Amino acid sequence: MPVLLFGKGGSYVRDFKMKTNNFKTFSAAQSRPPFTRYSKWQYIVIFISIIFLLINALPNIFQEQTTLVVSGKSEEIEMVSASELRSLLSVKGFAVDTIHSNKDASRILLNSDRQSSVAQQYLAQALGEGYSVESIVEDTTPEWLKKLGAKPIKLGLDLSGGVLFILNVDSEQAFSERISFIEQSIKSSLRKHKVRGVRVTTNNHGTITLHHSPQVRLFDITSEIKKQFPFLVLNKTKENQTAIDYPEVERKKFHQEIMHQSLTVMRGRIDELGITEAVTQRQGADKIRIELPGVKDPEEARRIIGATASLDFYPVKSHGKKVFETPDGEKVFVEPIAIFSGKHIKDAHAGRDEMGIPLVNLVLDSQGGDKMLTFSSQNIGQPMATVFSEYYQNAQGETNKLNRVISVATIQTQLGSRFSITNLSSTQEAQELALLLRAGSLSAPITFVKQKVISATLGESNIDNGLAALALGVGFTLLFMALWYRRLGIVANCALLLNLICLLGLMSLLPGAVLTLPGIAGFVLTVGMAVDTNVLIFERIKEEKKRGRSLPLAVEYGYKNALTTIFDANITTLITAFILYSIGYGPVKGFAVTLGLGIITSMFTGVFISRALTNLFYVEFNGNSKRAGASS
Amino acid sequence: MNWFLSLPMNFSRVRFLGLSFSLLLIVLALFGLFSRGLNLGIDFTGGFITEFSTSQPVSQENMQRLLEKQIGEKFLLTASEEKTNWTVRQPDDANTSISKNWLAELSEEAELTRDQIQVSALDSDYIGTQIGAELINQGGLAMMAALIIIMLYLSARFEWRFALGAILALFHDVIIILGLFAWSQLEFNLTVLASLLAIIGYSLNDSIIVADRVRELMRFNKNNSLSDLINSAIKSTLTRTLITSGTTIATISAVWWLAGKPLEGFSVALFSGILVGTLSSICISATFPQVVGLNIDCYRLDPENDEEKTINY
Repeated sequence: MPVLLFGKGGSYVRDFKMKTNNFKTFSAAQSRPPFTRYSKWQYIVIFISIIFLLINALPNIFQEQTTLVVSGKSEEIEMVSASELRSLLSVKGFAVDTIHSNKDASRILLNSDRQSSVAQQYLAQALGEGYSVESIVEDTTPEWLKKLGAKPIKLGLDLSGGVLFILNVDSEQAFSERISFIEQSIKSSLRKHKVRGVRVTTNNHGTITLHHSPQVRLFDITSEIKKQFPFLVLNKTKENQTAIDYPEVERKKFHQEIMHQSLTVMRGRIDELGITEAVTQRQGADKIRIELPGVKDPEEARRIIGATASLDFYPVKSHGKKVFETPDGEKVFVEPIAIFSGKHIKDAHAGRDEMGIPLVNLVLDSQGGDKMLTFSSQNIGQPMATVFSEYYQNAQGETNKLNRVISVATIQTQLGSRFSITNLSSTQEAQELALLLRAGSLSAPITFVKQKVISATLGESNIDNGLAALALGVGFTLLFMALWYRRLGIVANCALLLNLICLLGLMSLLPGAVLTLPGIAGFVLTVGMAVDTNVLIFERIKEEKKRGRSLPLAVEYGYKNALTTIFDANITTLITAFILYSIGYGPVKGFAVTLGLGIITSMFTGVFISRALTNLFYVEFNGNSKRAGASS
Repeated sequence: MNWFLSLPMNFSRVRFLGLSFSLLLIVLALFGLFSRGLNLGIDFTGGFITEFSTSQPVSQENMQRLLEKQIGEKFLLTASEEKTNWTVRQPDDANTSISKNWLAELSEEAELTRDQIQVSALDSDYIGTQIGAELINQGGLAMMAALIIIMLYLSARFEWRFALGAILALFHDVIIILGLFAWSQLEFNLTVLASLLAIIGYSLNDSIIVADRVRELMRFNKNNSLSDLINSAIKSTLTRTLITSGTTIATISAVWWLAGKPLEGFSVALFSGILVGTLSSICISATFPQVVGLNIDCYRLDPENDEEKTINY
């Protein structure tokens, strides 16, 4: 039993080192695990991961800085002096950090960045017409950090505001398309039943009228319409006229459905953009209000959100009723009714074929797959056109629909629920198309009504107090741990601070992570819970020491026994976090990210790093001091 | 903690008393939930949105205060970057929609007229909820999935009785917090929902730590009764429980005390969640398996063959 050799006093640390060198030779015969010591590469792994995460966490301390530049609009206007500016600003309670004045312009830096837009307005008003007040936003992050690609975490709507979009959903347009779809169905049903001499018209109110001679039997047609669209009301208004009405109630229902679909699609698209803490609400009868936090490029967001794209697959005919144009201006004739539409798309991913040409792989739902299967098995060798439709707004603000034939491909084999759209011109096109298809196709055109930058929902003092409270909480925890566990407490505190850095670094790495004030509180709580890992271990170590085990053994068993507990507890929480993330939306998703990452980093710092630190500073130090006779 | 460890073994009675107390709390909470309901925030209910502008910038704090005088506390204020465009969101209920002309009264506020700030209405609309029906369904589904998987995991790692105990403790905590929000009529918004999720994580953590120690003691048990085992498991994890709960509660108290109104619901939920979580880890997740007939020998190891015999007690 070699472990017993360094049971009490003496220079067991040195002995121990010697023994661990022979670790392999005696461990098999050993009933007790020997003291675990980290090897060099393990320290290197710890060191590298901490440095990596530290670099990613670092940009968060460099805030953006807004400088106000005051200059005269023409040469004759005399420059305002720095002291004048200062007194102007201090009257209104703005605390000035620095003012640099030269003969052309004054550059003002306020203490609080968040006041700068108010100050800008105030100055412009106070100085009058002759001066221009501009604000320049400067990123204070050092160049070398930017080169490494590190970026700060985005702050949520409550902390730093964001961009507001108000969209208008044109359900009228969607409705008229719905009517024309019904009209096409009626026409094709007329052709199918070989009924001749029937004229189909549609008026502005969405009533479809069949004009026919009195002797034409319409029974087959009307029963088919009733079967396909049970909500329609058919009336024989005259002997030679049948009116098909879309009831008002159904129309309202349609409107509701369109709004609901648009909202769902919008939420899906925002999720696709990777923004977790966005607010998406219906506003009024036909508007959607979207608030995006931390968006630096509103145009990009606008392009993805605003696109109303749909994809339809049509059988190509030599002379069809519907005509589409390819980008080269060639005309493609197709059957009026699509085989299936984009709403059956379950998944879409950009990829490349064997020749390296970009393509989009599509996965359809079972309904779409069935439709595709039936159609393709009957039409092998026939061409099929893929038509991409997008709504856009022209200069006059009118909504237009733009149809574009992406590809005309011959159906080579029977196609099922998985197939590809090939021959796309660029990878970017493939990726954007995949994104749009995945995010859902909208049947109603959407146009932008408003776009503006909004400020934080929480007041400045609320934010400052919240952050102060969290700092106080962390401070108290650190102090308590240091007092309660003494030297081990220092180890725990180091692990805790490293955990904070690691978590911050990881969160900054994620492009979609957005930090709100509750998010920060959750963040600190996760850190607080990370204390738990160390408390569990240290309490075990204390117990083991009480049982009379030597220090290294107490540490060894403390870590070993606490580990299963820590593992079980954390795995369960990790499961919760994972499920919340995969199914949840918005704030729930954001919370799940913080929770999940927090557990991972707390396992890393609380077990791995704190063990290394305990070995380094507690066991070795205690051992050394004991050897020197300094410790009791 | 020595005073506690030296207490006589009638700790079992404390546990069972606690269990009854927990049941009473649940009944109270459910009664509150059904009789009063939750005071859902505008995130959940939708309501009215009013936009107005001021001729000069006003600080967010001042505007918040002025509006509270007019329309009470239940609203959400957002400002444009220049602090001249304002958006007020109010829930759709009778109390707040009564004074529809609050905007006119706001513009006559002395504080604004003194600085010759004019208030002009821009737009008013009805807004829907932030949370669609599909989200509620999805959220429910997520919860169910999480519960089932956790139940399976814990059943595999422990015993089904412990798994059920942990899940019951979790329900206990969530129901009591919901009950608290029903009784106090504090606003239940998305932030509170987030803290409820945090409580779930915390509650599970607590339950598992106690259950883990019970299992460990049962493994090497010689001739103690189940009650005694559970008691000593709770006692030996008590320092840990108190330290962790204590430091977390300290942080939350700081938030409650300093951050004030915007995080009130959040801190109340977490504060009480950690208290009831600690209670339930002792009185439910550790006591319930005993109630449903946990076998004292189910984890027992044969001391002759097992390597872990060295951790003997």
